[in-house]
Amino acid sequence: MDLTRPPQTPALPVYKLPPVLETKLDNGLAVLLIQDHRFPMVTARLGFQAGSKYDPPSLPGLSESTATLLSEGTWNRTARQIAEEVNGIGGSISASSSADLLVLGGNALSEYLPKLINLMADVARNASFPEDEVELHKQNRTQELLSQRSDASFLADEKFTELLFAPHPYSRQDPTLESIAALDRLALAGFRDRSLAPSNAVLVLLGALPPPQEALDIVRAEFGSWQAREAPAPPPAEFPEPQRAIVLVNRPGSVQADIRIGRLGVPRHHPDYFPLLVGNSILGGGTSSRLFMNIRERQGFAYDVHSAAQPLQDSGTFAVVTQVRNEVLAEALEALLAEMRQIGSHPVSADELEATANYLSGVFVIRLETQDGLAAQVAAVRLMGLPLAYLENYTTRVRAVTREEIRAAAARYVDPERAAVVVVGDASKIAAQLESIGKVTVEEAK
Amino acid sequence: MPSTLDGLNIPIQRHTLANGMRVIFSQDNAVPVVAVYIVYGVGARDEERGRTGFAHLFEHMMFQGSRNAPKGAHFKLVESNGGFLNGSTHPDYTDYFEVLPSNKLALGLWLEADRMRALAINTENLDNQRDAVKQERRLSFDNQAYATAVVERWPQLAFDNWQNSHSLIGSFEDLDAATVDDVARFFRTHYAPNNAVLVVSGDIRIPEAKELVEAYFGDIPPQPRPAPPDLTEPPRTEPRFETYPDRLAKVPAVAIGYPGPPRRSADFNALVMLDLLLTGGESSRFHQNLVKGNKSVIQYAANLGWPFSGPADYKDPGIYGIYLLYNPAFTGEQMVAQAEEEIAKVWRDGVGAAELERARTHLRSSRIQELQSSRARASLLGRFELLDGNPDLINTELDGFLAVTAEQIQAATKRYCDPGKRTALNILPAAPQEAQEG
Repeated sequence: MDLTRPPQTPALPVYKLPPVLETKLDNGLAVLLIQDHRFPMVTARLGFQAGSKYDPPSLPGLSESTATLLSEGTWNRTARQIAEEVNGIGGSISASSSADLLVLGGNALSEYLPKLINLMADVARNASFPEDEVELHKQNRTQELLSQRSDASFLADEKFTELLFAPHPYSRQDPTLESIAALDRLALAGFRDRSLAPSNAVLVLLGALPPPQEALDIVRAEFGSWQAREAPAPPPAEFPEPQRAIVLVNRPGSVQADIRIGRLGVPRHHPDYFPLLVGNSILGGGTSSRLFMNIRERQGFAYDVHSAAQPLQDSGTFAVVTQVRNEVLAEALEALLAEMRQIGSHPVSADELEATANYLSGVFVIRLETQDGLAAQVAAVRLMGLPLAYLENYTTRVRAVTREEIRAAAARYVDPERAAVVVVGDASKIAAQLESIGKVTVEEAK
Repeated sequence: MPSTLDGLNIPIQRHTLANGMRVIFSQDNAVPVVAVYIVYGVGARDEERGRTGFAHLFEHMMFQGSRNAPKGAHFKLVESNGGFLNGSTHPDYTDYFEVLPSNKLALGLWLEADRMRALAINTENLDNQRDAVKQERRLSFDNQAYATAVVERWPQLAFDNWQNSHSLIGSFEDLDAATVDDVARFFRTHYAPNNAVLVVSGDIRIPEAKELVEAYFGDIPPQPRPAPPDLTEPPRTEPRFETYPDRLAKVPAVAIGYPGPPRRSADFNALVMLDLLLTGGESSRFHQNLVKGNKSVIQYAANLGWPFSGPADYKDPGIYGIYLLYNPAFTGEQMVAQAEEEIAKVWRDGVGAAELERARTHLRSSRIQELQSSRARASLLGRFELLDGNPDLINTELDGFLAVTAEQIQAATKRYCDPGKRTALNILPAAPQEAQEG
């Protein structure tokens, strides 16, 4: 055997999604069942079109707080009873909110499936937002927000999102101290009644399930009587034209500068999505990406440097993210901008394209190894309004992207000419360096 | 026979190469994924004075190229073949993994063997990685609230023996003083096949995998093992309480710790169950009584070995550590008293049958959950072999935890969670000018 060369290996077998049984209850609730009997567990996702973009302008964070408080008491159970019953089935139930979606997730030992569905239905349908739980949440969320605001990368993400999206609600995904103070039971119950409706939801059930009819009977028993209701329409998908803005958020005492450079990207269903996905990965997707090799390995400016193309339901973001030592900020910015220009003006190499398509295809399949990973993908695809075939076709779509498509997509979404630049750091140490790339607006960290 | 893992049994085949390298195969062909995991029996506690940060610096050096895989090739080959990889440094071991599409098993093994056989140790790589470690320190410690207090100050306060208390990430002075010869010696001594455990788990065929492992690793020579460092801690005679001003923190936090039991002892099993009663899930005592009841705790974390380890890799001497982010209306002293009241209730008033049963179910379920990925299975198998000499613990460890009785928990809690031996570090938000220079 020749030990001096990387071994040659056979081709990878194609990934087949396990069979999915998809149906709809009379009240409009979409149900997807997937059998996976390797582990005696069941995993559930109940997702709603109810993310932070549905928050009223006066109450940012309402979707998030609703999610947090769903399992803190219902008309049938106290928070303590829910916690004890969930623990007793070897399970967990928790909800979270993103820009587009509110997702209630749960899992349990498979023998307790009926109980898990019973608990999830109670939480989704009958959350009562008890006064003392709401007060405690407000108190702790205030402290958590203060803590988040001490983190430079939180401040950078916040300012970056605001520059890209304002006035669209995608521009504010976190609560403010004022909105937490103004939160009350009425607002929470209102959000529940408006947005947590069966026609607005998808239930994915995956794992060591009983036969389909039996599993569906369990779902019907708990969700069948849920009243059908009209859910609110999303805010209009209107976004500002990208423009160059350079904002320095002053955080005295920072030993390094936290940088975001980028602009609006595209949603998954957009024809530019796969070219941007692959192009992003070549530019800053992994430890052999251009940014990593240049900014970290060759120049040693940063420990972490990457780029991200994040799809949203109606839009998306593209961002280059890094943190550099104060004294090399100007040089590092120049190098970042040059890489962003390069990928929009010159085609990537065939080797880069092949390696990156392999990478994206491989890690996609690896992520589907666990019940959580598969359930999250199935739920996300359905909730984003994409066909399930999206999952099976993903690797084919990635491999079909051409060099010219990447260059064209990068010219549209990566080129820094009209990108927003956000730097969080100690203005007294870095403001002058930042001015080397243009006119800077300085704001104090809040 | 029904097992505690609900019929689940992780298959294990052990194999030892002539050079002393231990190998474990675990086959599961459901998804076309394979994990290659290698763990070396060297960590920060093996470092010598004046050479802090070596274990961690080495984790970086391992990605700088080897004889047949030049600089950058490791990342490039794994990623361009559809996989991902990483490494991490711990008090008692350093580990590396590649997760790959299963047709790429040979590649993962070849890469690990090439760097074990002939790592590229030279001035250029050393200088470059010294800078990377310093930058990592700026990013992950000097610029993050709580991090320096928890990762650097906490071990210094909780341990007296320098081997246990010194910085895992190392000092800039020691890193600057490191020479190529120092690094080469460290590599030869610790990165030898007889100080390593290799695990291959996932979509494999064992005869074929075994043949590859023999071909790639079989002729790497073993090295004499140095005497293990003396980690003995002097007995604790009084509690310690220190306040740490943190200019980046906005909310106070307190770390509380007690010297823990020997690994795998009956008391070790009992403290794992105690930790579940106190902090496992939302029905736990800390959640119900401190977060909800007293409204004093905002977030909590606890573990045998916190913040570096959990039961899977806790090694004595170690600490049962509790970390509470708390409401500034309370003081650190009050938080210690509240946590200790919860602990005292366990040994004073006992544990109810329903509560204990819930904790057991929670534990059973978390373990099954964890076993779903090839990488998690590989990492547990490797560490159980390295630290216990018994990878079958992946199937049997739970039996020991589930057999613990309420009385055993009471006794172990009283014995180990002794306020007279407690360490507490109270981390308070500070204005920039009050901050300690780091």
